[in-house]
Amino acid sequence: MTEMLRAPAEVKYADELDWLESVDDGPKPYSWRLSPRMVRLFVLGSQKSDKLGRQVDQKWFGDASLVERAVVTLASDRGLLLIGDPGTGKSWLAELLAAAISRDSTLVVQGTAGTTEDHIKYSWNVSMVIAQGQSRESMIPSPIMTAMERGVIGRFEELTRSTSDVQDALISILSEKYVSIPELDNDNVVFAKPGFSVIATANSRDRGVNDLSSALKRRFNFVRIPVVTNRRSEADIVRFRTAELLRRHQIELDLPPTLLDILLQSFADLRTAAASATSDDEKLESALSTAEQIGVLEDAILHSQFFGEKQLHAGTLASSLVGSLARRSSEDLAILNKYLHGVVEPRGRKDGGLWPEFLEGGRQAIAVLS
Amino acid sequence: MSTLADDGLADDGPAGVALAGDALAGVPGGPAADGAVAAGLDGPFGQLRARLVDAAAAFAADSAALAEILAGLVDDVAWALAEPLEIFPVCHHSPASALAMARRLREKRPRVIYLELCEDLRPILGELRNCRLPVALQAFAHELEGFPAGVGPLSVVAPITEASAEHQAIAYALETPDVELVLVDWSADHLFQWENHHRPDRADGPPGPAPTGTGEPDHGGPDQDGEEAALHGDAVGVELGDLRPRFAELEEFLLRHGRVRHWSEWWDQYVEQPLSDADHGTYRQALALVGSLFRRLTPAGDGRLARDEERERHMWTRIREHLAASGTDRDDCLYVCGAFHAVSRVPEFGTTPSSSGPVEHSQVEHGQIEHGQAEHGQEAAAAPVAGYEIGPVTPTRWLYGLIPSSNSAIEAQFGLAGGSVSIAAATWAKALARSGVAPFRLAGQPGASTARKAGAGAARKGGRTARPRAASPAAGSANSPAAGGGPGTDAERLSGFLERPPALDGIDEDELLGWCVDIVRLARRNGYLASTADAIAVFETSILLAGLRNRARPTPYDFQDAAVTCIEKDVVPGRRDVRRLCEILLGGDRVGQVGYDALPPLARDVHDRLTPLGLDLSRRTVQRALLDLTAAPELAPCSDLLWMLRYLLPDGAVRPILGVRRLGERSTQESWDLSIGKHQRALIELGYEAVTVEQALEQRLRRTAWDPKATTAVALAAVEDAVTFLGSRRLADELGAHAVELLTGERTVDDAPEVLRRIRRLLDHYRVTEPAALPEWCERFVKEGYAHYCTLLPTAFTADDTGVRQVASMLGFLLTLENLALALGCDRAQLELAVRQSHPREPERTALLWAAQTRLGQLTPAELRARCDDLLTNPLVTGAFPRYLAGFVQALEPVPTLAPFVVEIMSRAFARLPDRVLLPWLPTLITTLRDHAGEHMPTLVREAGRTFPGALPALDAWTAPWSSRPPAPAADASTAGARAGGADAARAARPAAGLVPDLLVAHPATTDAVATLLGLAPAWPATAAPGQPTPAGRDDGATRDGAILLLDRYPETAAAVTGLLAH
Repeated sequence: MTEMLRAPAEVKYADELDWLESVDDGPKPYSWRLSPRMVRLFVLGSQKSDKLGRQVDQKWFGDASLVERAVVTLASDRGLLLIGDPGTGKSWLAELLAAAISRDSTLVVQGTAGTTEDHIKYSWNVSMVIAQGQSRESMIPSPIMTAMERGVIGRFEELTRSTSDVQDALISILSEKYVSIPELDNDNVVFAKPGFSVIATANSRDRGVNDLSSALKRRFNFVRIPVVTNRRSEADIVRFRTAELLRRHQIELDLPPTLLDILLQSFADLRTAAASATSDDEKLESALSTAEQIGVLEDAILHSQFFGEKQLHAGTLASSLVGSLARRSSEDLAILNKYLHGVVEPRGRKDGGLWPEFLEGGRQAIAVLS
Repeated sequence: MSTLADDGLADDGPAGVALAGDALAGVPGGPAADGAVAAGLDGPFGQLRARLVDAAAAFAADSAALAEILAGLVDDVAWALAEPLEIFPVCHHSPASALAMARRLREKRPRVIYLELCEDLRPILGELRNCRLPVALQAFAHELEGFPAGVGPLSVVAPITEASAEHQAIAYALETPDVELVLVDWSADHLFQWENHHRPDRADGPPGPAPTGTGEPDHGGPDQDGEEAALHGDAVGVELGDLRPRFAELEEFLLRHGRVRHWSEWWDQYVEQPLSDADHGTYRQALALVGSLFRRLTPAGDGRLARDEERERHMWTRIREHLAASGTDRDDCLYVCGAFHAVSRVPEFGTTPSSSGPVEHSQVEHGQIEHGQAEHGQEAAAAPVAGYEIGPVTPTRWLYGLIPSSNSAIEAQFGLAGGSVSIAAATWAKALARSGVAPFRLAGQPGASTARKAGAGAARKGGRTARPRAASPAAGSANSPAAGGGPGTDAERLSGFLERPPALDGIDEDELLGWCVDIVRLARRNGYLASTADAIAVFETSILLAGLRNRARPTPYDFQDAAVTCIEKDVVPGRRDVRRLCEILLGGDRVGQVGYDALPPLARDVHDRLTPLGLDLSRRTVQRALLDLTAAPELAPCSDLLWMLRYLLPDGAVRPILGVRRLGERSTQESWDLSIGKHQRALIELGYEAVTVEQALEQRLRRTAWDPKATTAVALAAVEDAVTFLGSRRLADELGAHAVELLTGERTVDDAPEVLRRIRRLLDHYRVTEPAALPEWCERFVKEGYAHYCTLLPTAFTADDTGVRQVASMLGFLLTLENLALALGCDRAQLELAVRQSHPREPERTALLWAAQTRLGQLTPAELRARCDDLLTNPLVTGAFPRYLAGFVQALEPVPTLAPFVVEIMSRAFARLPDRVLLPWLPTLITTLRDHAGEHMPTLVREAGRTFPGALPALDAWTAPWSSRPPAPAADASTAGARAGGADAARAARPAAGLVPDLLVAHPATTDAVATLLGLAPAWPATAAPGQPTPAGRDDGATRDGAILLLDRYPETAAAVTGLLAH
């Protein structure tokens, strides 16, 4: 595990998955490794009332009914499309679900403008074709086809980034559940084994770039992942992800709760400001998602670790916030400047605490960038 | 409830104890301090109590705290059950409560029912017979006494649904002879007194939120179809039997363990369904237990508990008073209250003298207090507890009525999940059909039979579950001693209830299939691309979801989730999303209606007076009314009423499509969109204001004019409305007199444009309708206004906060109403002085001043023109010229005759201003003209049309009139004054009006009369005698010269005639 920069969920939580599988006595659909109830438990964590002999940590934070709807969709005949703003944890949920159900979350196709039908179905090893002709050996199956053959979950990231004709290649896969290979004379159909399904993710901000066809929409159940606005849930997420990052970077650092509060509060303030803005120039370009918060915190932690006193200060956090959120030199900086002086400064005078230090750090960062 | 035992507090070990311990810190009568918790094993609840205490010891680290809570819960139940007056705990909008109530009423047949509902609402309960439920009982007050100013109007609503225990109790009491219904809760007045007293910070807003159910909607809420959700307006809601955890962590805990999304779902699954067929004893004990749980886990410092206890004191005092006064046997009474109040520990609780004073839990168990078991009988029905007195009500006059309500309005007001009341209604219909219980209904109530039919329909749909259960515990236990006996003899039934998991029905496949098919059909109708495949997917997903959530059978909420998962895509194609469609499918939003007989007099009067239109006004759809007032003059009163209603009711209730009604303007044909049925609440609330619409309008106008923030313009608008809609000279005079007072007291001139516009219109109206004499207030208004604006003029010319338009309007008032003002005794010198005192600095105002001076003769047109020439030639001020021009445009208001001059200088500006000034100015000119000179544009355009050639070929030969004018004479002090100005104007007019002298000479009578009016003897210098016409076409030089001389002396006439001819 230490040799991987970022281990996939099934590797990272291998122990837990093994243990859950061993105690799972619920009915399992198809070739699922865990029953739906255990999948839910793996993703959302266990409670005492579940009467398990071991604590299972919560890994995805959000409305439990969303996870339940996602799980039952995968147990049904339809694919699952997770849709939501950037940074809401769609891909992470997809990864967790694939890991829990199939113990393999790496069968992923990344949707881009350059994705072709070959990436979804299959392609050929050209040298082998020249040497031996077209055969199953010289064929390179796509991750989706591999998932079909093995009866596991395939993933399609950023479905709406790929073009419509590529997306439509999924229609037959999801309806007929087979892929035919006309180039071959024999053994030219790959049938999906029971347990195969697709989890796709789509960014709601990309809507209109490559709209899904009605036919494809029908074959997916949509689960909309909302932006986390509940402060407690958001704090949980930031804490959870930061702990993971710290582990990955092998950094020993305690995150002071007051600093976390400052981070959450400042994002909440900026979101409120963005919501009341009347034009794009009055709001930050950033979506101010939870992932962005984690990014700010990670940046601040790494900075203090390598260039600071190995202790996180409010000033560093502020400069990291400014550095991460100021993307357009004049507009974003102006908004942050207004925020620091219009909101943070009065709050610092009123509440004190770490806010004055945060203000100072922000000021300096803006001065450097201006 | 089984979750409480299975997964509940005990499971959480130390965490659970800590939570409960914190929560109890501030609970009055909370944990017993005497350490006797584990002791009592007597009484019917002793065994259960001991078991719970043992369980606490076995599972919790700090068992004492948990044991206290658990034992306390049992004690509370015992306490409530020990009261000789039977307490019937209920939960709001709960079909199980309604069912249990119906059963109990048939079984016990009480003679007196005490109900937790505002005591002053009692007289209107009978009106429920005329209504289709849900409706809300309303207490309303807008004339407040004893409350701080500005908090009104106050309004309280108590919604009544069919699937509620209170409706059962009311229907039973009203339909059964010799049964008395006594409402015992705070009156609306008491409620607001409390709110007001405990919320001093809300002095300027409505006093406090709903006293019950103030939580946020759990899930989504009825965000669509907001009209139905807003049926209660901003009234404070009260409802019987609010039952919900007041401790956020507890609710979260219950939801998490129950695998449900919101409170309504939890309640339905763990209390509602298991209790729907429970016997009376189990029902009472279970509800009291839930009430006790939420009461004991109320967080410290929760203000609602203090209020609830105060209400409980009030209710028990009222009950005792009634018992003492009527001498009724307690066995014949039933007290219906929320489960939360059933386990109250206030000193006034109970009907025996011995039950006074706070009581420790342990006393109950030890049998020290047994609520008058030895003293059953009316002699024990004791007098009120000494020391508590119900406070007096304020002198505020409260008005009562019924307003329509809806399921979504109830959900929105009391923070229930969207669709939960609708689902409860459907459950009620189904439960009735299944259990065979005959509910009580009010005779003549519309819609009651439809509910019965719906119930039967649901039963048919429900297939096998629709059959009445032969072995229904309720039916079986009706005559059993445990259930049917006196309240004190209840056996302990909680153990059985808590030990059993909720006995839910098995999957009802037919019903679920029906839902799946219907939702797809509904979705298609709402623009979704849903098909049979989706129906199959919804069916499958519902079952899978229920399985994942540990349920044998999908609940409506599971079905809703499944439908959203399978049908909802990235966009909502229509107005409603799938979640909302499910709510509609599962019961729909039912909107109540108040029947004609239950309406206030004003609303009935409106219905009566609109009868000639031949429309059914009770319908909730928009209806079109066509009024041809020429063909059917008898519809004129309807038209008058509709215009008044349009003024009084909110937008949308009555909307004119064709036709206008303004001062002096009536249409002969009108077309209206009427939606009075939908806006019944507004009409009913209007009925609280007065007995007739006219009276309401008069009051409204008076209130508007006498509002502390009212300005002169507002008062004049009220006058206009009074004349337009009421035709009331008396009211108009009164309002007008008030407008005069307001005008003299005003220190700003912000409203001057509006004042000028309105007073001009009113004067025109009165001149036409009452040519003999203006109303006295109009004369006073003009006189006062003249003096007022003269006084403020010099300041307004220089003050930064006064706009140019305001100054122009002031001048407009002074100059255009001058004749009238002078006739009424004002002195022009006042105005002349005021103008001389004005020294504006800004170009716009300077231009205004020049215009005024020109009009007053203090500046000749030639001088004005010369000044403008200077501006255009002086490079230092050229840049500011557009601002001068803006001022001249504004000056058209007070000096309309300036129009030719404005056209002239505008043309010259275009000709002479350099591009660097002109081009940036053009957009500003357009916006200035549009914003400030809209009404003057026709004049300007007409003037321009007269000045410039109409066709292109004529342009070559065209010379601007001002270019051919002889150079202006140098300003000479001796020529200053009106005469010089007039002569100049006449000279200017002469080349354009060559025939004028001929005309005047041909018809000299006019000129003679004018001369006489001016006090001069008509003298024609020519040889022709005055009054003798000169033959047309004859070149009589002497006559012409004479006329010219005359015109030279009195040029105004010629100018006016020229203007007329030009038109």
